[in-house]
Amino acid sequence: MAPALSQLRRGVLEYCVLALLREGERYAFELVTTLGEADGMVTSEGTLYPLLSRLRKEGLVETTWRESTSGPPRRYYTLTAEGEATLDAFVVEWRRFSRSVDGLLAMGNPQ
Amino acid sequence: MTHALHPLAEDYLDRLDRAAAHLPRARRRELADEIEAHILEALSPEPSEAEVRNALERLGTPEEIVDAEAPGPAVPAPLRPRMTGQEWAAVVLLPLGGFLLGIGWFIGVIALWSSRAWSTLDKVIGTLVLPGGLATTMALWSTYGLGESGESGCREVAPGSIVCGGGGSSTVQFVLLFAVTLLPVATAIFLARSADLNRPG
Repeated sequence: MAPALSQLRRGVLEYCVLALLREGERYAFELVTTLGEADGMVTSEGTLYPLLSRLRKEGLVETTWRESTSGPPRRYYTLTAEGEATLDAFVVEWRRFSRSVDGLLAMGNPQ
Repeated sequence: MTHALHPLAEDYLDRLDRAAAHLPRARRRELADEIEAHILEALSPEPSEAEVRNALERLGTPEEIVDAEAPGPAVPAPLRPRMTGQEWAAVVLLPLGGFLLGIGWFIGVIALWSSRAWSTLDKVIGTLVLPGGLATTMALWSTYGLGESGESGCREVAPGSIVCGGGGSSTVQFVLLFAVTLLPVATAIFLARSADLNRPG
């Protein structure tokens, strides 16, 4: 991943987490591995745990622990109302931004 | 935790614990639990060494994970100067303002309390040590001077014979007064050094 993009990636990662939660609750391991599978999004899965902690602290997600038959209890994450509002605002910004960037890149690169 | 782990994973968690030593204890514990739960979830009951190594590699190094705990913004906030004119006004007026018709000290207190550069504790110290600053110190000195010949410092040891001041107590008084002279100056220096407009909150 180009160094120029790593800051960008860090910036959008939390919104990707919020987006994954829009459909419904997911537990930590699920979130982490799904994001880890998306090409180029995460270099180390472990760093998502501090990110999730920050989202909890900021009130954008909330969690519940549930017992699991197949091992240790699982921490399930859900989007809060504030989290959903934040995500919606980001999607609008992102669409505008990525459209602009794509447009400019296309101009500089006539293929 | 009671779950049995592959030795490589145990070692990893030990390293994580050490890397996270500077975190608040509750968060450190929480992070350790989360990572351990992740590892248990990622591995089969009797994992091969290769499987463990792969899982740990995908997790990233303990240092990387702990680094991600720091909330650093992608773009640092613009830095302000540590002190501006208002802070300097407080630092100068608190010790010396009492000489400006007494009002200067109060202006210093206003400058002190309305500034963002100090914590509440700093501000309390700046106000109480010493109210009135060096002007108060001077007033106390002249009281000491009066005490020599005024009532409080003198006693009648024999009819018609009055002794004023006297050994022990006036030395103690002198030391106290000397300390009290230093206090406003020490407070001003303390305030000048602890002022920081960039302090959080």
